[in-house]
Amino acid sequence: MSEGVTIWRCMKCRTGVFPEPLLCPRCHSAQFATDRVMEGVVEEISVIRHMLGQGNWQPRRIASVRTSDGQLMTVGLRDESEPDARIELFQDGEAPFGRAKGT
Amino acid sequence: MFQNAAIIGVGQSAYTRRPEAGQTALTFMRDAVVAALKDAEVDAKDIQGMAVASFSLAPDAAVDLAWKLGLSLRWLVQDTNGGSSAVSMLGHALRTVESDYASPILLIGGDATGLAGYAKVAANFNTVTQKHLAPLGHGGPNGVYALVAARQMKKYGLEKSDYGHIAVSQRKWAAGNPNAVYRTPMTMEEYLAAPMVADPLSRYDCVPVIAGAQAIVVGRREQAPKTRPAVRVRAIRHSFNYDHQQGDGLQTGISTFADEFWKMAGVKPSDIDVASIYDDYPTMVLAQLNDLGMIPDNDIATFCRTVIAERRLPINTWGGMLSAGQPGGHAGGMNGISEAVLQLQGRADARQVKDAERAVVTGYGMTMYRYGGTAGAAVLERGA
Repeated sequence: MSEGVTIWRCMKCRTGVFPEPLLCPRCHSAQFATDRVMEGVVEEISVIRHMLGQGNWQPRRIASVRTSDGQLMTVGLRDESEPDARIELFQDGEAPFGRAKGT
Repeated sequence: MFQNAAIIGVGQSAYTRRPEAGQTALTFMRDAVVAALKDAEVDAKDIQGMAVASFSLAPDAAVDLAWKLGLSLRWLVQDTNGGSSAVSMLGHALRTVESDYASPILLIGGDATGLAGYAKVAANFNTVTQKHLAPLGHGGPNGVYALVAARQMKKYGLEKSDYGHIAVSQRKWAAGNPNAVYRTPMTMEEYLAAPMVADPLSRYDCVPVIAGAQAIVVGRREQAPKTRPAVRVRAIRHSFNYDHQQGDGLQTGISTFADEFWKMAGVKPSDIDVASIYDDYPTMVLAQLNDLGMIPDNDIATFCRTVIAERRLPINTWGGMLSAGQPGGHAGGMNGISEAVLQLQGRADARQVKDAERAVVTGYGMTMYRYGGTAGAAVLERGA
């Protein structure tokens, strides 16, 4: 696991994009540098209580988050954070997760 | 308005939750093709074009299906736009027939993934899903649209029962559709008591995965059976990746073309007698109706509690995918078009809408990350 979530910053117009693009959706430049966003605000949550094809599924929480840099991403929530909570972001492999700050 | 191209026949296979031994996506598609050709009174040897959309073809491609169906073609398309594939294929076919390049053209959609197969499709829908969603245990499209529904409820002041009006109303329509997998009437109490799948979505907010197929024949108007008029298309529009997944998902790609669409059709939303709105989730039915300008003042809550609850506008009269079942989004979208054709030709039997002259059909699909990225719509009209 690593702190923050990788985003791709357009070298021309500075727009931060997630997931990884080929061309910037704003200026269509092909030059990017990776950057990291460390926190965001929970906008909506859901509890996944049933998963197709999974018999022993344990409920999991996911959230739509607006990062401090403006990206909208779906994260796995590792605690009971509710909408409007400011959370810290971290990455497990390439998947974004979040939890309350300072926990 | 297309002058020469029209829909001249429709057909479907049986729909089933559990395919029997020997039943595959291909056999369902074959059954739908046979039914559509019979309905159109067209001989298979006369088919000049084919379009197909299915999650179940691989490793085969469209040409393999043409081979297995014994079709030699001059025009062939494999569409990959999920729930909007039906409108997408219809548009390709209409423009091709209108240009006099090929006619008649057969459109096919069908799937028989089974629950386990569908779970694999959902977890591997695209690379973004594989990398960034599936590892969360996001629940496939149910999880994605749960977040969209939560957003919609907050923005428009919706209650859970507002979605229930759609599910209950469509189930009532399904009672008149012998091909629907769920036909027993459902009460609001039953809807509200159903187990939660992905908050706020419960069982009856989520399309049941089924096996089945649909086929449509598009051709020149004079190729239609003499016993009934072909169904004409006044307008058709499509949208792909309309906002780079950076919106709220409460608007669909339909919002990008709605004004131009109605202008091209030469009719208003109030001129529509029957609507087939792609219903993978009630949330998206409402989003598409709102984008089409069919919800006065964008007051979705009042629309649910009056127009839908009292069935003032016939919406998804075949029961929609929520009751008839979703044999993949491709065929699900085609079912909406086929139903509109049957309604406009007075062939919808127990669910016939009196004097239906015009219908709107939509498609919506390809859950790229946070919501669907493809959409399409068409206005259909009873031919003269």
